[in-house]
Amino acid sequence: MKSRSSLATVLMMSVSLIALTACEEPKVDASVYKSLEQCKGDPLNSSDQCESAFKEAQSQHAAVAPKYSTQEDCQADFGTDKCEVAPYKTSSGGSVFMPLMAGYMMGSLLGGRGSMMSQPLYRSAQSPNSFRTAENRNVGSKTGRTKVASSATSRPTFKSSTRSRGGFGSSGRRFGSGAT
Amino acid sequence: MQRIPVTERPNLADAADEHELEYVAGKGITGWDESAYYQFTTQEIDENFPGPAEELEELCLQVVDRAVNNEEVLSRLGIAEPFWDFIAESWHNGEKNLYGRMDISYDAKGPMKLLEYNADTPTTLYETAVFQWEWLEQAKELGLVPKGCDQFNDLHEKIVETFPKLAIAGLSHFACNPDIEDDKGTIEYLETCAQQAGLETSFLGMEDIGLNDQGQFTDLDDEVITTLVKLYPWEWIMAEEFGSHVPASGVRFIEPPWKAILSNKGLLPLLWGMFEGHPNLLPAFFEDDPAATAFADTGNYVRKPIWSRQGANIEIVEGGKTLSHSDGPYGNDAHILQGFQPLPEFDGAYPLIGIWLVASKADGLCIREDKTLVTGKDAQFVPHVILD
Repeated sequence: MKSRSSLATVLMMSVSLIALTACEEPKVDASVYKSLEQCKGDPLNSSDQCESAFKEAQSQHAAVAPKYSTQEDCQADFGTDKCEVAPYKTSSGGSVFMPLMAGYMMGSLLGGRGSMMSQPLYRSAQSPNSFRTAENRNVGSKTGRTKVASSATSRPTFKSSTRSRGGFGSSGRRFGSGAT
Repeated sequence: MQRIPVTERPNLADAADEHELEYVAGKGITGWDESAYYQFTTQEIDENFPGPAEELEELCLQVVDRAVNNEEVLSRLGIAEPFWDFIAESWHNGEKNLYGRMDISYDAKGPMKLLEYNADTPTTLYETAVFQWEWLEQAKELGLVPKGCDQFNDLHEKIVETFPKLAIAGLSHFACNPDIEDDKGTIEYLETCAQQAGLETSFLGMEDIGLNDQGQFTDLDDEVITTLVKLYPWEWIMAEEFGSHVPASGVRFIEPPWKAILSNKGLLPLLWGMFEGHPNLLPAFFEDDPAATAFADTGNYVRKPIWSRQGANIEIVEGGKTLSHSDGPYGNDAHILQGFQPLPEFDGAYPLIGIWLVASKADGLCIREDKTLVTGKDAQFVPHVILD
């Protein structure tokens, strides 16, 4: 995949470009599906599980997906017709593009310590059979119950550039304790 | 209810050290007094505290249900218009609450009376849940109190049990004014409970919260805040510079926004208005209500600002004369008048009982003593036992 740095100064999406050699890492259980229907078709899941995991992945999608300032750059990485307009604008008001969500990953231990984390997955133009996380970690091409590198299951970070700080705290400085 | 003098544990300085509480040689632990304890019977606890507190909680929730759709009430509570829908939505969406502490006056002669509800930013949580419990265990071992003593205190277990039920996804941020030890200790304890419950957590000061171009709040690593467990009052959050960004920020807050209605002393006249004569309520009126004038004519009342904390700016009037008037930085906002139900006196101290609620269920009890009728920031925590 080519560099995703084109928008880095605008959106500060921190994306690791290290190609992972997942074979040396411990693997953990996860479930990968290309769609909600595929998840529901897996007898190992309840329909509710599939829906809430899908919803969670979908709600993260726009925030965590890699971002591009042109459709061409996005398509170069993810393929023709594999990109969409993100619900954001660049600081100069231009459109922002991101890949379509190509699937999602869920698992009882994703995110660690019992939380039912689910996250969106993408497919690059270069290796269209493999799923990748928003942080460009390969989780393989197998769907259904599978084993993935534990680093790929870490919670995707919702990073963005902070415009200002210090808008809270003034009452605390004036009154002291907020306790009752 | 009895107050029983007792020998302090010999290892008090070590205990303070272990729990990171302030210890002053010759004075003991700041805010903590174990030279006495209060003793209740099981029956006295059962009859007077959990049932009535949970019933009051039910009434409080009815007040919220009515208030969220009533602009006049929200205005009276000093809640600005941009937050009305935000608060109402948090209520209609069933956003769950974690905890709160009802402060009550109980004289062992009649039913307990609700003085106020610290529903948003209650402290002395650690002292109640952990330090008081450890005192009991050690005092029993040392033979300072009878072996059969128990305590009304399931607070720690219930908080750890409740966090997973709040359905928090991903990282939770915990925030307070980091310069105040008491506040920081409380939020750190809550964070520990959340971690025990399996949540991923991160602490930051309220002043360190950032705002991004999408109107979301961020932490110091520029990560978007999705859940904020705050020990910082709703009325401050709403009034501060970033307050206007709160409704559209997408943040899940704990305590939820609707708690702004309960932590306000305007709750007391609202409760009285809906449930006048309830045995656990004192008469209460907004000061600008005509009924307050007639009530003030009785010459016995307590005047409180709708927002004040730790006993600040409270005036007690008895027999038409001001009995006491505490200082403080509050009091520029609206006031309420409440019936005067003096705290009972035990050996020159006035115990204020706090009933803790977790997820709206009564789960623990704490007692703070002050040398005056108004329990202020110099009050001392005194442990309790249950013994039959």
